[in-house]
Amino acid sequence: MTNQLFIVIKDTFLSHFKSRGYWMLVLSPLIFIACAGAIFFGITKMQGNTTPNIAVIGNQEIRRILVKSEKELDIHVSKLTNRQKANRALQNEKLDGILTVNDDSATITTQPKSNQIPKEEITAILGNLSRSKKATSYGLTAEQTADLVQNFNLKTVVKQATKSNRTGNSETANQLLASAIGIITMVIVMWYTSMIANAIANEKSSRIMEILLAATSARVQYFGKIIGIFGLVLTHLIIYVVTSFAGFNFFKDNSFVKILSTNLSGVTLSFVIYAVIFILVAVALYLVLTSMIASLINDNAQVQQAIQPISMIAMIGYFFSFIMTQMPNNLLIRILSYVPFISQTMMPVRLVTDTEGWPAAIIALLLAIVTLFLLLWFGQGMYAKNVLSYSDESIMKQLTASFRKNK
Amino acid sequence: MIQLTNLNKTFGQKIAVSNMNMSLTEGKVMGLIGQNGAGKTTTFRMLLNFIKPTSGSITWNDQPITQSDKRNIGFLPEERGLYQKRTVEEQILYFAELHGMSRSDARVALKDWMKRLDVVGKITDKVQSLSKGNAQKVQMIASLIFEPKLLILDEPFSGLDPVNTSLMMNEILRLRDNGAMIIFSSHDMNNVTKISDDLTMLKRGKIVLQGPVQSIREKFGRTRVYVESPISGNELASIDGVNSVVPRGVGYDLILSDEAAGHRVFDLVTKDGYIPAFSQQPPTLDDIFRQEVAIHD
Repeated sequence: MTNQLFIVIKDTFLSHFKSRGYWMLVLSPLIFIACAGAIFFGITKMQGNTTPNIAVIGNQEIRRILVKSEKELDIHVSKLTNRQKANRALQNEKLDGILTVNDDSATITTQPKSNQIPKEEITAILGNLSRSKKATSYGLTAEQTADLVQNFNLKTVVKQATKSNRTGNSETANQLLASAIGIITMVIVMWYTSMIANAIANEKSSRIMEILLAATSARVQYFGKIIGIFGLVLTHLIIYVVTSFAGFNFFKDNSFVKILSTNLSGVTLSFVIYAVIFILVAVALYLVLTSMIASLINDNAQVQQAIQPISMIAMIGYFFSFIMTQMPNNLLIRILSYVPFISQTMMPVRLVTDTEGWPAAIIALLLAIVTLFLLLWFGQGMYAKNVLSYSDESIMKQLTASFRKNK
Repeated sequence: MIQLTNLNKTFGQKIAVSNMNMSLTEGKVMGLIGQNGAGKTTTFRMLLNFIKPTSGSITWNDQPITQSDKRNIGFLPEERGLYQKRTVEEQILYFAELHGMSRSDARVALKDWMKRLDVVGKITDKVQSLSKGNAQKVQMIASLIFEPKLLILDEPFSGLDPVNTSLMMNEILRLRDNGAMIIFSSHDMNNVTKISDDLTMLKRGKIVLQGPVQSIREKFGRTRVYVESPISGNELASIDGVNSVVPRGVGYDLILSDEAAGHRVFDLVTKDGYIPAFSQQPPTLDDIFRQEVAIHD
C-alpha cells in the first residue's frame, strides 16, 4: 500500500512536472513580471535625467548651503548667479528653475517643461536659515537657536492592549498585502483545482480508473493524487521563493525595491511563514474538496461544472481581501477570518495590520488544519463510492446525494 | 483457486447476479457468456472488489481477496482506456509498477511484448498516435505484462481483426499454460469454444449452463448433421427423426430430434457408396446460446 501510494504520488507529480502546461503555469507570471519590469525600466530610462537644474540668485550663503544639500534634495545647483543669464538659460530650457532669494522671502520661477523641484524641502531649509538668522539677531545662544529650528517630531503608532508598539506597514502597503494574499491564493487555487479535477476526470471518463483500481485501492488513488498535486504546488512555491530572494538581492539598490521594503517593514519572517503555511493548508483543503467533487464527473466536459462551486468559495475570500483593511471591525469579516476555505485571505492580513494577535491567528490556522483532516477522512469514502459510478444526474445533485449517503 | 459461493448482487429492486457459484482453477480458462445485462460485468466488478456482493462470498485459496492479492490480478475492461497523451512506455511502466513489477524488468518485458503482439509503433510513441488495433494491443499488454495469476478479460476480442484475435488468443493460452486462472466474457461463441476449458452461461443474473465446453455440447446430443450427397432435400426431410433440412452450399444442414436418427440418414445417403461429407455433431455454442435464451425468456 505504501509503495503503491508512492508510485501514484510519483506518477501524478512527474506526469505534470514534465508537461509543458505546468511550466507555462510556473513561468508565465515570472515572464509577465520581467516584461513589466523591463517596460518600467525602459520608460524610466527614456525619461532621461529628472534631477532639476536650479540657479540661485541673491543670497550666496543660501546657494552654498543648497550646493552642499544637492544629493539630499536631488537637485543640481547651476553655476549661473547672474539674473539675466539665468533668465536666458530658463527661456532656452537649460534651467528648470530660478530661485530668487530676498531678505524675508524667495521666488521659484520655472518653465513649462521643468523637472519637478522639491519645493517643500527647499522651503524648510530656507525657513530654518531665516529662523537661525533671526535668532542670532535676537541674541539667542547657539543651543537655543538649534532647539528653536528643530522640527516637531510626529510619529504614527498603532497601539492595542497586549500588542507591541511597532509602527508596521503603511496603509497602502497593508492594502497591497491583503490584495496580494487574496490574488495569490485565488490564482493558486484556480490553477491546481483545475489540474486535479482534469486528472481525475480524465482517468474516470477514459476508464483508466478501472485498470488502476484493479491493482490499487480507491484510497491509494485518492491520497496519491492529492499529495502528488500538492507536491507540484510546493515546487511552484519554492521556485517563486528562490526567484524572489534572488531578485530581491539582485535589485536591492533599486529605488522601487527600496520603497517596497520600507513600506513592508511590518512583514516579519514569522508572519511570512504563517501566511505561507495558511495558504498551503487552504490549497490542500481546496484540492481535497475538488477530488471529492471530481469523482462525480463522467466526462471531461463536466470539469468546469464541477469546479464552479469551488471557484465561488474561493471568490469570497478574494472579494473580501479588497475591502477588509478598510473595515477591520466589521462583524462578518471577523467571523469569516475563522472560516476554513476563506480565512487564509483574511487572518494573515488582520495579523499583519495588528487587528488580531497571534492567539487568534493560530486558532484560525488550527481550525483550517482540523477541517483539512476531517475532509480528507470524509472524502476518501465519498471518492471510493463515486469514482467508478457513472450517473446522468447533474454534479450538484450527485454531490448532495453523496453527502447524504456518507453521513 | 477462486471460489464464488452463493453470490448475490442487487441494485435496488434489480437483481444483477443471483445465487452464483463458480470455481476458477489454475491453468484453466472460464468463458462467461450471456446477453447484455446478464450479469457478466457485475461478476467481474465483484471479483475486483469494485462493488461488494449483497450476499455470498468470493475467496482466493479459501481466503478473502486482499489488497495485496489484487497486484496479481490483470484486468482488461470492456471500455478500453489509456492515457492518450502519454507514451506507451510511460503508462505500461506505471501500470506494471502498480502490480509490483520493477521498472527495469517491465521495460525489458515491454519490448518483448511489443514484438510478440506485433504492435506497429515504438514504445516512445504517444498512444494517440497509434491505430485503434495497436492501442488495443497496448491495452492488452498493460493487463498481461506482469504475468497475472488471475486474468479477467471483459470482451477481449471486440474490435480486433481475425489475425490480431488469433495473436491475443495465443497469449491467453500461453498464460493459461503457465498456470494462470483466466475468466473472460465474449459474445463470439467461436472464440469461446476455441479457448475456454469451462463455460458459464448467464441469463438475467442466473447461471443456466455451467461445465466443460465439450460436455455441455454433448449434453444436447449429436443432433446436428451436415451432409453432401446426391439425395434431395425432400428425401432427407422424409427420414424419421429429421426435424429440419436447410441447404448450405453444396450440402444440407439437418437438425435431428435424436442422435439415433443420424444412423438412418447415414444409411440413406451412403446407399450408393461414397459421399464427400457426412458430419454428425452436437449443437454449436451459438445454437445452444440461442436455444437457452429462447427457453428462459
